[in-house]
Amino acid sequence: MGLRNSLNLLKSFAKEGFDISLAVGKFFCCLHVVNSYLVTPALTSGPSMLPTLNLTPTIVLAERLSPRFNKLSPGDVVLVRSPEVPRKIVTKRVIGVEGDRIAYVVDPQNGDQSETIVVPKGHIWIQGDNIYNSYDSRNFGAVPYGLLEAKIFWKIWPPKDFGSLG
Amino acid sequence: MRQWISVAKEALNQISTVARFLCLLHVTDKYLCSPTLAYGPSMLPTLNLTGDVILSEQVSYRLGRVGPGDIVLVRSPTDPLKIVTKRILGLEGDRVTFYDPLSGDICRTVVVPKGHVWIQGDNIYASNDSRYFGPVPYGLIQGKAFFRVWPPDSFGRLGP
Repeated sequence: MGLRNSLNLLKSFAKEGFDISLAVGKFFCCLHVVNSYLVTPALTSGPSMLPTLNLTPTIVLAERLSPRFNKLSPGDVVLVRSPEVPRKIVTKRVIGVEGDRIAYVVDPQNGDQSETIVVPKGHIWIQGDNIYNSYDSRNFGAVPYGLLEAKIFWKIWPPKDFGSLG
Repeated sequence: MRQWISVAKEALNQISTVARFLCLLHVTDKYLCSPTLAYGPSMLPTLNLTGDVILSEQVSYRLGRVGPGDIVLVRSPTDPLKIVTKRILGLEGDRVTFYDPLSGDICRTVVVPKGHVWIQGDNIYASNDSRYFGPVPYGLIQGKAFFRVWPPDSFGRLGP
């Protein structure tokens, strides 16, 4: 009798545990869907987007709808998968889309020599706001549109920076 | 009234089951294995002109385990809405030799830059690949093809 009671107790514990895991699993599923297709938070750090984004780590919100529906235009700050290190995602500003003629200063710290380039089909030209300390399209060329991940639209941390990118 | 409520409840149940099934299908499609229709002349004789249904797995490229000889699905660098099927000939740092169609078919050797791969179709006479648009960033790889399911007479593994 005691054995059957403890067995039943075990069964009810197991069932409750299973139900809770299922609910948690469904929650993370939903979170993952929102993260991959709607809005995702991201941590940005580094000097290449000063003064727009700080040197110290900043948490931003980025939406995934604009790149999917081809609604990016020059001036947008985007998250892009780096063409040189595939696991790294960098934050830069879109300067030109396919067909645009871009004039850029090759090395701002060493003079004013500038070059002009036409962005090829299916590519975009990205640059960091801090052109003195940014590794971007001036170094690795135009990036294919397929590497775009998301468009940043809001800063949420640190609290004094809370707000749109401006 | 009560009848409507029970009908609505049953309909909601069915819809939620279907939705969960589609969810599972979508997750499998995106992160494990997905079927694709590959057509065109650029991978003859490996893949047919009129279209083969091939299975591609999405695990290898995330682990960095695709290499020369693998048939991969890549998002086209010239048309971001199109996914092409080509074979990898070289990874970053590899030296690739090819006949350059853009300059009179002279024999050229390039070193694949960091973070990029060199892709070519098996049918070099009718393939728009890295010989035209250069090496493509590794981040554009969408999957590795490993099996063909249609047409039935060429059912079987695809391989290097």
